[in-house]
Amino acid sequence: MAVNVEDVKKINPLVPIKAKVTRIVQETPDVKTFHISTMDDQKPFDPMPGQLGMLSLPLVGEGMFSITNKGENHIEMALKEVGQLTKALHEIEVGQEVGIRGPYGNGFPIDYCKGKDLLIIGGGIGLAPVRSLIMHCIKNRDDFGKLTVVYGARSKSDLCFQEDLFENWTKVPNMDVFVTIDREEEGWDGHVGFVPAYVEELAPKPQVTVLCGPPIMIKFTLPSLQKMNFSDQDIITTLEMRMKCGIGKCGRCNIGSCYVCLDGPVFTMEQLKDLPPEY
Amino acid sequence: MMKTILKAKLPEMLEQLAKEYKVLVPAKLEGVSRFAAYRENLELALDENVTMPPKDIFFPQTEEMYKFAAKDQSLEIEEIPQDEKLQVIFGVRSCDMKSIDCLDQVFLTKGFSDPFYQDKRDRSILIALSCVKPMESCFCTSMGIDPQKGQGADIQAYDLGEKLAFEGITERGQEVLNKVSGMFAEEDAAIPPMGEFNLTANVEGVPEKLKNMFDHSIWDDISRKCLNCSACAYVCPTCHCFDIASEVRGEDGVKIRCWDCCMFDEYTVMAGGHQPRPGKKERVRNRFLHKLRYFPERYNMLLCTGCGRCVVKCPVNLDITNVIKKIKEA
Repeated sequence: MAVNVEDVKKINPLVPIKAKVTRIVQETPDVKTFHISTMDDQKPFDPMPGQLGMLSLPLVGEGMFSITNKGENHIEMALKEVGQLTKALHEIEVGQEVGIRGPYGNGFPIDYCKGKDLLIIGGGIGLAPVRSLIMHCIKNRDDFGKLTVVYGARSKSDLCFQEDLFENWTKVPNMDVFVTIDREEEGWDGHVGFVPAYVEELAPKPQVTVLCGPPIMIKFTLPSLQKMNFSDQDIITTLEMRMKCGIGKCGRCNIGSCYVCLDGPVFTMEQLKDLPPEY
Repeated sequence: MMKTILKAKLPEMLEQLAKEYKVLVPAKLEGVSRFAAYRENLELALDENVTMPPKDIFFPQTEEMYKFAAKDQSLEIEEIPQDEKLQVIFGVRSCDMKSIDCLDQVFLTKGFSDPFYQDKRDRSILIALSCVKPMESCFCTSMGIDPQKGQGADIQAYDLGEKLAFEGITERGQEVLNKVSGMFAEEDAAIPPMGEFNLTANVEGVPEKLKNMFDHSIWDDISRKCLNCSACAYVCPTCHCFDIASEVRGEDGVKIRCWDCCMFDEYTVMAGGHQPRPGKKERVRNRFLHKLRYFPERYNMLLCTGCGRCVVKCPVNLDITNVIKKIKEA
């Protein structure tokens, strides 16, 4: 039996609904984007930018992933192959039936960002969670000020969402996209260098900065942002911890008294300062 | 006036109730005392609190969540119907009554209700039992608990020595008493005073003080002897962390959840190997901060009821009252 969006609310939040993979995009050698719809071709649920979904291949396991975008009839998740489940997911083909539950977490503070110039910084697969925010800003272009995206990856082939970076987003009014790779390589005439240094070099003047990337990138980008005199509530990041339930019960994703699945994954620097550095 | 019954007559009363409800009682089974479904000739354990807390009544150690079948590209998910019978839980001590309040906070608040827990909780009628003599390891009064009054009870039972007295508190509790009203005598009964406690802890100001003690050297000291064995969490009436896993046989499987513990390395390790709490110092610190600071911050109550089970069961004597003392003195 097909499940529609209304039914999701009535369903046990710990039991997934059946859904299907309708499209798979190979982003990089180890990242694929999966488009997921219900069996009757609807969105499994309606996530806010930055929220999470629990995706499962029940014979293998289930895992929490950020939702990178939503369409009329589907949601998208971009997954890097790192463990057992993501390896199995990378082997499936269009038409595969999967379990999905969600949406979980707080999402980005959209209302707070409205009318403001935004700097969005991503590193590697860290562009996946913030892409939902970028897509939201593009769809509602007039609600936000200038949009600046700075994105870096190890190499050209490791850049996710290349169609967005080099085509779609370059056509959006009042939006700049800056892309960098870690080391020089043949066929790349763009910027070379690490993200934190590139941000300092570009010296954008946004009102709010959103960043997501590997812990090392966040660690080195924060001092750059602090030099730019941001207040802590205008630096926003999205975190990752191991999760099982997604609804703040099972315990493992706590950072201090917060649960990343429920109170996060999006935190301001102001909030993070009050939490132990255990992530 | 109270409804009283001779302790010798208790099995008869439980027998009567078991005709209508699922009745769970403290019992000794294979040398370990725990709550068990009442049956004839069950050895009741009423002299002291049970070794295993009642949390598994609402939150079983292993619980099936749903079934699935996956073949080629197809998937079927099937929910598992829950039992619908009301259950009467007799003989829950005050510390364990408070632990149910803690579990309610976790499983029933903050925007999501856990349907597996809620179902069992909603079907439960709780008969609290007052204490007379604390065990060596008890310190419930230090945690603000009245050992003779169980918070959230439907019925309060009092241990009068030879007899038990019952007081209906909620409508649901009253209804249960009405089913066996013919067995009771009505009399004025004095509740014996509570004995002296061997163990105490002064938690005043501890949650606040811990806000600035994350990097304190005390955690090196406290964690040194811990074996990360998780015995403390398994016997704890309030510890509630769980894992979700699959049991797969061919193309069919069942999703289960089972008790987990923050003492384990696998608990927080992520795909790719990142480990936010890499050593036992970080894990022991998280456990005590959760009980004494994080939980109070989130739910406005301590995640320790002074039942003393972890004090008894810890193989290396890592005593929470001693940890509290060290925090106070730090």
